[in-house]
Amino acid sequence: MKHITIILPVLLLLAIAITDQSHAQQRFPAPEFESGYEYPEVAAPEPRTLALEYVDVMVLLGFMLLTSWLVIRKRSRQWILWLSVLALLYFGFWKGGCICAVGSLQNMALSFSDPSYAVSYTVIAFFMLPLAFSLAFGRVFCASACPLGVIQDLVVINPVRVPVWIQRSLGIFPFVYLALAVLYAATGTDFIICRYDPFVGIFRMGAEFHLVILGISFLLIGMFVARPYCRFVCPYGALLKVTSMFSKYHLSITPAQCIQCKLCSGSCPFGAIEKPTTGKLMDDMKGRSGKFLLYAALIPLLVLVGGLTLSSAHVFLAKAHPDVYLAHLLIEEPAIINDPDNLDVQTFLASDRTLEELVVSAGEIQATFRTGTRYAGAFIGLVAGLFLVSQYVVRRRTDYEPNRGDCYSCGRCIRYCPVQKQDA
Amino acid sequence: MNLSDKIKIAKQTAMVAGAFCLLISLLLLLHFLQMRSADPLDSQVLETLVERLAMEPGNEQLKNEIRQFDLLARKAYFTSLWQVRTGGFLLLFAAIILVAALRIYFALIARIEEPPGEEETAELTGRVLSRRWIMGGTAILVILALAASLTVSDPIERYLADIAYPEKAEEQVERITITDPEAPPAEDTPVPIPDTPATGEEPDRQPADTPAEPGRPDPKPDEPAEPLKPSFPDQTTIRQNHNAIRGPWSQGVVYHENLPLEWDGASGKNIIWKVPIPLHAYSSPVTWGDRLFVTGASERERKVFCFDRHTGDLLWEASAANIPGSPATPPETTPDTGLGAPSATTDGIGVYAIFGTGDIIALDMDGNRMWARNLGVPDNHYGHSSSLVSHKEKLFVQYDDRNRGRILCLNVHTGETIWDITRDSDISWASPILADVDGNYQLVVKGNPIVAGYDIKTGGELWTVNAMSGEVGPSPGFGGGLVYAANEYATMVAIDPASGAVVWQDNFYLPEVASPVYGNGYVFIATTYAVLACLDAKTGELLWEYDTDDIFYSSPMVAGNRVYVTDTSGNTYIFETGSEPILIGKNALGEEVYTTPAFADGRIYIRGEKHLYCIGI
Ligand code: SF4
Ligand code: SF4
Repeated sequence: MKHITIILPVLLLLAIAITDQSHAQQRFPAPEFESGYEYPEVAAPEPRTLALEYVDVMVLLGFMLLTSWLVIRKRSRQWILWLSVLALLYFGFWKGGCICAVGSLQNMALSFSDPSYAVSYTVIAFFMLPLAFSLAFGRVFCASACPLGVIQDLVVINPVRVPVWIQRSLGIFPFVYLALAVLYAATGTDFIICRYDPFVGIFRMGAEFHLVILGISFLLIGMFVARPYCRFVCPYGALLKVTSMFSKYHLSITPAQCIQCKLCSGSCPFGAIEKPTTGKLMDDMKGRSGKFLLYAALIPLLVLVGGLTLSSAHVFLAKAHPDVYLAHLLIEEPAIINDPDNLDVQTFLASDRTLEELVVSAGEIQATFRTGTRYAGAFIGLVAGLFLVSQYVVRRRTDYEPNRGDCYSCGRCIRYCPVQKQDA
Repeated sequence: MNLSDKIKIAKQTAMVAGAFCLLISLLLLLHFLQMRSADPLDSQVLETLVERLAMEPGNEQLKNEIRQFDLLARKAYFTSLWQVRTGGFLLLFAAIILVAALRIYFALIARIEEPPGEEETAELTGRVLSRRWIMGGTAILVILALAASLTVSDPIERYLADIAYPEKAEEQVERITITDPEAPPAEDTPVPIPDTPATGEEPDRQPADTPAEPGRPDPKPDEPAEPLKPSFPDQTTIRQNHNAIRGPWSQGVVYHENLPLEWDGASGKNIIWKVPIPLHAYSSPVTWGDRLFVTGASERERKVFCFDRHTGDLLWEASAANIPGSPATPPETTPDTGLGAPSATTDGIGVYAIFGTGDIIALDMDGNRMWARNLGVPDNHYGHSSSLVSHKEKLFVQYDDRNRGRILCLNVHTGETIWDITRDSDISWASPILADVDGNYQLVVKGNPIVAGYDIKTGGELWTVNAMSGEVGPSPGFGGGLVYAANEYATMVAIDPASGAVVWQDNFYLPEVASPVYGNGYVFIATTYAVLACLDAKTGELLWEYDTDDIFYSSPMVAGNRVYVTDTSGNTYIFETGSEPILIGKNALGEEVYTTPAFADGRIYIRGEKHLYCIGI
């Protein structure tokens, strides 16, 4: 439809509007007291008191219980849709996208590496609950409790089918992102998932320009490539994918017996429906069992290569840490101490730290990065190996079924199945 | 309605919503361009008028014109803000309708697809391609990692290797700190810590075992390691320090002599040292013994900094992080208040600081955390700004926010609540003071609308006067047996704290941010319309007024027979406390000042927007 072409400029202008406003609010001196002026609503979410944080946990639990019931028992796409709208309003627009399960994995990583970092029970609950639910019922969190997922789901208008090889090869990226996010969080450098969260600017109606653009781009792409962030970026989704693979009671497309009508086969905008296996495929795979063994044997090598190559880049990655950055700067450009405009340097000069202390601290951080990148690289190598090997594995399947790792339990496919429960 | 009608409606709705989106976007874009070209914040007229005023500081008509233009500019600015925000919401709303209509449209025109034929080959080729791309992708990652490793060298290892050799270490390991070569050595300016016992002014509050040097409770390393029982400083010791905002007991009066009368930030005259403050905030410095404390805050971090009062060296910094109950995202505040507006207080045993997140932290004099807690995030649209004040084991926190008026009293050793009262006050930004009334301390607190005195033991309300209104910023003043409370758009009252009776009332000059101060029978008011006014403390009669260069946020301070007051441009005016305006000195710092200076013997410490200054002769 032609109209879609107007959406792009429209949304870009929205971006300009939003950013303009968020800057402007910071600039005017405060009005005189008692001028009758009322401050505009704040642009960032109000923080929550502890009691309200517990309420959030209860709400999350409620959403997931209800979704599980709707997905497994009631099997109603309509209800799931409305529930997801509610989740978007509550966790997205009202709470401003924080706290969220996706970001919570960084707090967990930091608390494991730094015992003095206290992680609250709310964060633990936000991290654990969706994973626990996915072990039981699949990714019900993604269906209608994750504001990031829901906002993308709602803009799915005319999805194209992404070729399976693109989907599978890009599917590694969330694991790479996961490894980097954990590395940066555990070293106390940065919470990159939050820093580059593309939707938070939309939820809060104000953010840095590039983030709003990023969010809008994801939504625009998401009209045609459904849930691009979930499928190709989300690091928490990577974890959910793994736990969901082992889910005990997962959504099934048909309520009873699949009659092989194939009506549902194209219904999933995320390409998450697995077709029955054919004899030819099985034969082909059998013929490749040698390759399977070869790649399986290569996994340790990939782990080693991953660990070594990423750790060779540890200095590059560690420069995101302020101490390391400053130490490099002061050693490489000693004249910078005369630059009064470089606030980082001036603050350091005013502090009681000596250059040696700074360098020693930066050296320690770099050493942590060296170890961290070994693990992160090894993990990426392992994931790449498993992805490769999985291409030689087929599970015998007689019916049309959702892929438990990739299915977001959105319930779209249910409507396509002509089989009724009583038919069984 | 048949299917084609529905399709038509969905299509038309999408078109209308799309057109509406486009229209709003265009308007927003126009607005954006217009604001760029004619920004009300950069009004030429206003600038010219202000320049003129600098030449004719007494011109009342000009001042009125400026106020009016300023009001107009504010109106224009906030209307534009409203327009943008409303436009943003309209756009969001229209975008939602557009997406919904498009969804419906595509759902309606959708046809059930032909079930696909056998797709064995598709799956097989898919797997082959996937394998290739996974391998290709992994190779790309490896190449990227190797390329990244080549882009940076590692100077740190080199540096550390160099300093491993002592002869090279000499060249490399130089301590980079700013020290003023002219700064006197520490022993030149010892802080006198009197060993005289307390005077009879406070007989029942004087602990028998007050040590001579409460500022140095640490045992020497060779002394037995048994913990010293902390003793609270006596009144004389408190007077030697500047342990809270506006000095001892936050009364605005300091007890030092030899204070400098002349300085100049630009030429460095009488500036003993000047150091950048690592983290911005609007809190004021406080001192104890050789140490000076300031706080700093940003969205990311909240910190307490301890400087050597004599050299300006940063001795330590302590972060208010990892506090149970502290909000994950700090509350939104306005830039003129921020998260670090409240000033810390110290009793020589600990330093106590509170931040706009509701985090309150107690540190020992070496920066080690004694305790920390979160008092609940204050619901405050500018940001919490009430400073702390303490008396012996009690730390008082004025915590009025939009939900309720509240004062807490915490134990300085443990942070536990001693008492916590809800009071009949709306949100406020003032700070509590301690007033010695008939041999007992009262906590005198301003709010909206009450000015009230509280029993420090129980938190019981001793008296209240309903006199304030609006957004209460200035704190009370105390002296000559009276409490002075004033607020812009309300009034000024002098209250007898023994009875709660209003002794006099006046509303000619009223402060908006700076607090009134008592000195030698006079009360001084520093306003946000650049006037310093002096009133007779007993009668409230206006004795004189003085037009200054800029407005006042910093509170006036009385030292001996002088009053010091700094305007927001950083000019400090020094007047005699008398019935005539006798200006003794006017000194420019060359940096904006919104905080109240701290005083010590022969020294004044001013926190500018970026730097901390030590002034002395
Ligand atoms: S994949 Fe990630 S972003 Fe998407 S719905 Fe799941 S958790 Fe949310
Ligand atoms: S529920 Fe069905 S349509 Fe939705 S993601 Fe899972 S397989 Fe795809």
